[in-house]
Amino acid sequence: MRWRRLASAAALPYWLLAAPASAQESQLEVAVKATFLVKFAAFVEWPVSAFESPTAPLTICIVGTPLGGIADQAAQGQSVSQHGLAVRHIAAAARGDGCNILFTAGTAQQPVAGALDAVHGAPVLTVTDLPETAARKGIINFVLRNGRVRFQIDDREAAQDGLRISSQLLALAVNVGAR
Amino acid sequence: MRAMTGRAALGRLWKLAPLIAGTTAFLLLVIGLLVVYSGEESYRREKVEEVGVQARVLASTVVAALTFDDRGAAQDYVGALDVNPEIEAAAIYDANGQIFALYRRLAALRVPAPAPELGTVHADDRLSITVPVMQDKAVLGRVYVRAVLEPLTTRYERYAVIGLLVVMAALVTAVLGITQLALSRSYGELSDSNAQLEAQIAEREKAEEALRQAQKMEAIGQLTGGVAHDFNNILQVVLGNLGNVERHLQRGVDGDWRLLDRGVKAAIRASERAAVLTGQLLAFSRRQPLAPKPLDVNRLLGGMSDLLHRTLGERVEVETILGARLWQTLADANQLESAILNLAVNARDAMPEGGKLTLETANAFLDEAYAATEEDIRAGQFVVLAVSDTGTGMSPEVIAKAFDPFFTTKDIGLGTGLGLSQVYGFIKQSGGHAKIYSEIGEGTTIKLYLPRLLTAGAADEAEPASRSALRGGAEVILVVEDEADVRGFVVDMLRELGYEIVEAGDGQTALAALDQRRDIQMLFTDVGLPGSFNGRQLADEASRRRPALKVLYTTGYARNAIVHQGRLDPGVELLSKPFTYAALAARVRAVLDAKGEG
Repeated sequence: MRWRRLASAAALPYWLLAAPASAQESQLEVAVKATFLVKFAAFVEWPVSAFESPTAPLTICIVGTPLGGIADQAAQGQSVSQHGLAVRHIAAAARGDGCNILFTAGTAQQPVAGALDAVHGAPVLTVTDLPETAARKGIINFVLRNGRVRFQIDDREAAQDGLRISSQLLALAVNVGAR
Repeated sequence: MRAMTGRAALGRLWKLAPLIAGTTAFLLLVIGLLVVYSGEESYRREKVEEVGVQARVLASTVVAALTFDDRGAAQDYVGALDVNPEIEAAAIYDANGQIFALYRRLAALRVPAPAPELGTVHADDRLSITVPVMQDKAVLGRVYVRAVLEPLTTRYERYAVIGLLVVMAALVTAVLGITQLALSRSYGELSDSNAQLEAQIAEREKAEEALRQAQKMEAIGQLTGGVAHDFNNILQVVLGNLGNVERHLQRGVDGDWRLLDRGVKAAIRASERAAVLTGQLLAFSRRQPLAPKPLDVNRLLGGMSDLLHRTLGERVEVETILGARLWQTLADANQLESAILNLAVNARDAMPEGGKLTLETANAFLDEAYAATEEDIRAGQFVVLAVSDTGTGMSPEVIAKAFDPFFTTKDIGLGTGLGLSQVYGFIKQSGGHAKIYSEIGEGTTIKLYLPRLLTAGAADEAEPASRSALRGGAEVILVVEDEADVRGFVVDMLRELGYEIVEAGDGQTALAALDQRRDIQMLFTDVGLPGSFNGRQLADEASRRRPALKVLYTTGYARNAIVHQGRLDPGVELLSKPFTYAALAARVRAVLDAKGEG
């Protein structure tokens, strides 16, 4: 079977192959989420202070999630304004660690809430993949609608963190926590 | 001349009018076409701009939808184009050129697939514009928008309205041009007939002038003929009698004195008739020097009673009806007397079998309405004197000519035809007018209107001087007269009256004499003198040198020098020729005795 995987690897993106076999059905879903995570950058404005310089990379940090490899691929060679995109995989989020976008699925070491608490108030776009009913979610939270990946946006939280989210993106959100 | 050239220039302009109108119409058409063309151009540009904007707006709106693969949102965006009725179809294509979202106004409409080339396509009243969907520098897909332009026919209908207006304007201009052409033709005809008319008028004026000239010559012929006839008769008497006197005197002093006396008296009477004749001529010509004075016509008539009875004879009864409180008038009493006598004589001649002459006076007011009905009459207050007879009367034709000079119904030798014209001339010169009322067999009434004298003044008594005894004097008198015989007569008469005489034949000599003889007290001068001084200028110069000098003029024909508007200048003393010894004596004495500055 190993050769077939290798053979398939030529036709399918690497991240599909890297996904666990048990989650085969949601492999596509994961890939879409990873791509979205990278694409959000173009629809969000950070305060100037969030970057060391106008050309400093825009850093997407991922805490304990299988999205990592796919996001790396998606961010490859991309840039937003003059910021190149960089993907970092970290064990735990901490304030002032240089992340502009933080995706966290929670780890034993740092649950989701802990990560959110760590960057709360800093200009970091937090992204989560939690049930709609969860008490604490990131500014953007992935949901499923009619089998398609969509997202919720908490614009109020974004505003508190000094972020400005494009109206086009807000328009695509299934619901928006209004400012 | 200027009017003529102006008219010619106008005529040329009018001829150009149709050309101008045609050119204007053509220009209007060209302008109309240009308007349509540029309208079409700007409409197209406008639409390209409009649809392009729609496409670009859509492209920038669907960035997120394409990015996050949200077909629903993209469909919403593209569906929003439905509000623009011009947009027929639109599509959003993904990066691979596949349709991502689609809008069609009608299900039957098609959109290109895969994505068409970028750019603008204009065909069959359709405008298709395809633009890229960009994020930063990355192309995410394409947007295609297709709009239906207003159909060409609809636009042409709108242009047709404009065209119709233009054509109508051109037509109106053309009609105006044609009208102008017609007008200029009739204008030409009009000026032609006007020129003809003017020529005719000029011809008629010439003919009338010729007629007037002929009438004048006829009148002069009548005048000279009539005057010559009467004067010949008078001269016959004068020459004949004076000849007799001369023959008797040559024969010696033993002649028959009574015969001499009779001859001289006949000559004098004839000469007096001649004086009357020339007086009438002057009256007719209105050149007689009038000496108008405040006059009571009633009193004048009262004084003429005897004279009238003598003139009219036994068979004519005279009745005088004097109006009460008669106004005064301003007129020359002697001339009015002559006028009344003339009328009386005419009345007598109209009543060969006898009859009645009525003289009636009254006050009369002629109002504007009456004055307007008659020529040469002005409104106002008048003293009217009506002289009526019961004679043969006159036909309207005769009445019309009665005042004309030398017109007479009497046989040759019985009348000069100057009587009524003297009356008319005098009345007119006095500011009044005369009117004849007559019918054949019903007698004649002639009314004389003399203007009322409004400033109060005592009516003069009859001139006492003329009837006073002949008185002479010893004063020194300078007699200036160019006619030697007349001067000789005057000098002889004045010397006989006791005056000392200095004589001169012209003004220069007279002034020299005046400077030599400081004792000259009076200047007696003819008005018409040869040389650089006439009588008036001589008298003025003499008075300047000798302010106390008295002046008496004489003349056979009053010149403008001392007569203005038919009246003697104030302060001027005039003795008209011919004058008698008695008249000369009386006037010289009167002037010398007059008080004042002289």
